Amino acid sequence: MRLVTLEDIHAAAAAIAPHVVHTPLLSFDSSLSIKPECLQAIGAFKIRGAVNALSRIPSEDRARGVVAYSSGNHAQAVAYAAKLLGMPAAIVVPSNTPQLKIDATRAHGAEVFLVGIGEREARAAELVEERGATLIPPFDHPDVIAGQGTIGLEICADLPDVATVLVPVSGGGLISGVATAVKSLRPNVRVIGVEPELSADTAASFAAGSLVRWDAHDRARTIADGLRAEPSELTFAHIREYVDDVVTVTEDEIRSAVGEIARRTRVVAEPSGAVPVAAYLNRSLPAGPTVAVVSGGNLEPKLLAELVGA
Amino acid sequence: MISLDDVRSAATVIAPHVVRTPLLPFGPGWLKPESLQPIGAFKLRGALNALARMENRANGVVAYSSGNHAQAVAFAARLHGVPAAIVMPDNTPAVKIEATKALGAEVFIVGITERVERAEALVAERGAALIPPFDHVDVIAGQGTIGLEILDDLPSVDAVVVPMSGGGLISGVATAIKALKPEVRVIGAEPALAADIAASLQAGELIRWDPVERAQTAADALRDEPSALTWEHISKLVDDVITVSEDEIFAAVTDLARRTRLIAEPSGAVAVAAQAKIGGTGVAVVSGGNIDPALLARLLAD
Repeated sequence: MRLVTLEDIHAAAAAIAPHVVHTPLLSFDSSLSIKPECLQAIGAFKIRGAVNALSRIPSEDRARGVVAYSSGNHAQAVAYAAKLLGMPAAIVVPSNTPQLKIDATRAHGAEVFLVGIGEREARAAELVEERGATLIPPFDHPDVIAGQGTIGLEICADLPDVATVLVPVSGGGLISGVATAVKSLRPNVRVIGVEPELSADTAASFAAGSLVRWDAHDRARTIADGLRAEPSELTFAHIREYVDDVVTVTEDEIRSAVGEIARRTRVVAEPSGAVPVAAYLNRSLPAGPTVAVVSGGNLEPKLLAELVGA
Repeated sequence: MISLDDVRSAATVIAPHVVRTPLLPFGPGWLKPESLQPIGAFKLRGALNALARMENRANGVVAYSSGNHAQAVAFAARLHGVPAAIVMPDNTPAVKIEATKALGAEVFIVGITERVERAEALVAERGAALIPPFDHVDVIAGQGTIGLEILDDLPSVDAVVVPMSGGGLISGVATAIKALKPEVRVIGAEPALAADIAASLQAGELIRWDPVERAQTAADALRDEPSALTWEHISKLVDDVITVSEDEIFAAVTDLARRTRLIAEPSGAVAVAAQAKIGGTGVAVVSGGNIDPALLARLLAD
């Protein structure tokens, strides 16, 4: 299996630079900085992978557009990237998706298809077939992984003496890209994945040395709704190659980390984005300058009030 | 008045210690989130520049402020390894007193009318140097670095919207912008309840409002009034002023948290409210994010 390379990530950085925010590192305390990807236009890092993947579609295929299936940040990332690059986008979302997210996706000019939760992939495949469109998967794609990896380049450039990088893990696209960049540039920096205890399939896989599958209903128990997916063969290969450890955090630790991030850095993180900070605050991790990737900040207003207003 | 060179040289001095805040897209315009600075406000820029240029700082520095300037001076003093004495009025929220102490400053709590007197006494007793919140060329030059960054990051910018109180921030920003791109509009934003600069610009001369009146706004960092120095910059360089209601300010705080994931204090949201009011496509400076937790909770619950 071909893994993503540092060159792929450098190329991605050049492709996406005009369209994404170079997020600054913000000091959380004397040893932790956060990388606030929640400040991206769609409120999450996913914009990086989506813009890179779309920008690599050959010009003759662009008019036929792109298709994605997602209930979350990837849907908005693809819709936003398609608008930026002037391509049509069709997004398949499950019928239980909050209206707010559907409206946000439509606001970027995408066509939204509502289907039953088990029919997403089939409907997306149909749309690809009918239109000759390109499917943009949320993580299982080298161009998506390379786009997310640009976060690793920025961390190494902005904090040259970084010792540890903490990254949330779900499908594994983010940590695959970040770990590839960081380990290629600075092999001595530790890259640690963080998962909710209730959706800790990657921690289990990492310990077992091979992919361990958890039931989707079990993974869905966590409040961190962006961390309910599971790695693919491709992302797990990157994790095995480059990641030093995977640790887990509890639901209470995640909730309280959202409040701490708001108070100390004045940014809003969603529970999935706060997971690495929860690990920093509650687990014993290697000493030295540490960066936590705060992957996103999209919360329903009610949960925002509950966690940040507390 | 300060010059572009003063601002450029401030940029070099403060660069290692401040966050290079990015521009964030917001509706048809942009935001410059200075709330992301380590002390949660732009004030760090001016304090760092002023302190770095001081020749007589060995005996420490003194500042009087109930707000973000106190923390900015404490932070800058710690960085330079000099003692800081901060005089704060007795109605200062405990959270701000604690934050200032946590930065290693010695805090003196006095009645609101005794601030200046006490600060001057400390300066005399200790041979320390006073860092005023806005009425100082090095402070203004430090705040002006925000203008340089905006032009670097968005060369096509058509307008910059900046909150006004003592006027240090807008004086610096306007100096940088007008020197480099005179066609870019510099627009001040004020709460309608503390709109003394709007009134002054309309009258063509500095008009004073009663401090008790200015204190009515929830934008607690915008209750000050310009000095002769900042008024000179404002009257020569600022194109327009927009005033906003308290409800518009609160709506902007909520909007910022929900749509751009920024926690702003009311004062920090005033330029955003002003830009929304005119449907502007420019850059609104979000000047700070130190909001009282109870107020944030109330706004987010609505």
